[in-house]
Amino acid sequence: MKQAIYGLIFYIFLMLPPVISISESIMVLHMHMQMPLLVIVGMLFTPYLKEKFPGFFEKWNTNGVPGTLLFYIILIYWMMVPRAMDDAISTLSVEIFKFISLPFLAGVPLRDSWKKLSKRGQSTALISFAIVYGIVSLLYIASPNQLCNNYIVAEQKALGWTSLFTAIGILIYYVQSLFIEEELEE
Amino acid sequence: MMKNKQQVIAIVLVMVFGFILYFVGTDGFKAFTAESARTLQLEQDRPTFPNVILEDSKERMYSFSEFEGKYVMLTFIYTACTDVCPQLEMNLAEVYKQIPDNYIGEEIVFLSISFDPDRDDIEALKKYSHYFNSDEETWRMTRIPDKQELQNLLDSFGVIVIPDNSGNFTHNSAFYLVDPEGKLVEVMDYTKIDEAAKKVNAILNKKVGE
Repeated sequence: MKQAIYGLIFYIFLMLPPVISISESIMVLHMHMQMPLLVIVGMLFTPYLKEKFPGFFEKWNTNGVPGTLLFYIILIYWMMVPRAMDDAISTLSVEIFKFISLPFLAGVPLRDSWKKLSKRGQSTALISFAIVYGIVSLLYIASPNQLCNNYIVAEQKALGWTSLFTAIGILIYYVQSLFIEEELEE
Repeated sequence: MMKNKQQVIAIVLVMVFGFILYFVGTDGFKAFTAESARTLQLEQDRPTFPNVILEDSKERMYSFSEFEGKYVMLTFIYTACTDVCPQLEMNLAEVYKQIPDNYIGEEIVFLSISFDPDRDDIEALKKYSHYFNSDEETWRMTRIPDKQELQNLLDSFGVIVIPDNSGNFTHNSAFYLVDPEGKLVEVMDYTKIDEAAKKVNAILNKKVGE
C-alpha cells in the first residue's frame, strides 16, 4: 500500500506540465529518464494491484511469459518507432497513451512476471533487453538522417550512445549474476 | 493443462494487441518516422500554397500566383547551410536536367525558397544561383521577406525548422511538387533523383496530353 502511494505521488509529479515540458525537451531525458520513471511508477503500483486482483494475475500470467512479452512490445514501441516520441509531443492522445502504457502495460507486468520467470527465462529476458538497447543505439547512432522532427541529429546521436551504455550496463549485470548468487530476497 | 491453455490465450492476446498497436502507430506499417507520416498526411491533405510575396535573385517581387497554370517544383533552403541544402540543390539540379527542355519554363518552374530571409539577401541568392548554375528564370532562387507569410507557408507544408545556437538550422528536406492550381501534389525523397524525375515527367506528360 505504501509503495502504491509513493507511486501515485510520483505519477502525479511526472504529469505536472512543467515536469513534462522539461523531461521532453531533451531527447535523452525523454527516452531514458521520463519513460523508465513511468515504468517504475507501474512497478510501485504492482503489489497493490496484485492484492486487489489476485485472480487476474494468477490466471493470465501464471508463468510470467505473457507479461514479459507485453513489456517488450510496449518497450520496443516507444524506443524503436522513432515517430512515437514525436507523436507523443504533438498529439495529446498519444501522450496519454504513453502515460498509461508505460506504467500499466510495461511496469506492472514486468514486476509481476519477473519472479515467476525461471532462471533461464530471466537470463533470456535480460539478454533480449540488452539486444533491444543495442539495436536502438545502432539505429540512432548510425542513421545519417534526422529521425525525429522534434530533436536534432546531435541529440539523436547522444541518445544512441546512452542506449549503448545502457546495453553494456545490462550485459555487465547479467554476467555478474552468473557468478554472484543473489542473497537478498524481496 | 487448463493453466497452460490460458497462458497460450494470454500470449496470443498480447501479440494481437502488439500488432494493432504497431499497425495504428505506424499508419499501417507505412510511416515509422514522423517525417514519413508527415509526407503521407500532406499527400492526403494536399494543402494549397498560400499566396505569399516572393523576392528572387533578380530583385523581382511577385506573388505565388505568378506560376499559375504551371507545375512548380520547390525546395526549402538557407544559403549558409553546409550539409543538407547543397546536396538537396545539387539533386534538384539533376532532376532539372532530366526534364525535357520543352517542358522547362512552359509546364514547370523550379523554385528554391529560403527560410532565412535575414541573412539571405539578394546578393546571397544571386551567389547561390551561380553555384548551381540556375538561369534565374526557370529555376529561381527566392526568399519570402515577410516573416509571417513565411511561417504560414512552412506550417502548411509541414516544414519544421529548428535553429541551433550556432546560426544554423536543422530542417527536414524534400522535393515538393505543386500543381497548376497551387495545390501540393507530391512530396518526394530528395535523395532519389531518378525516381523523382520519372514521377515529374510522368505528371507533365499527362498534363500535356490532356
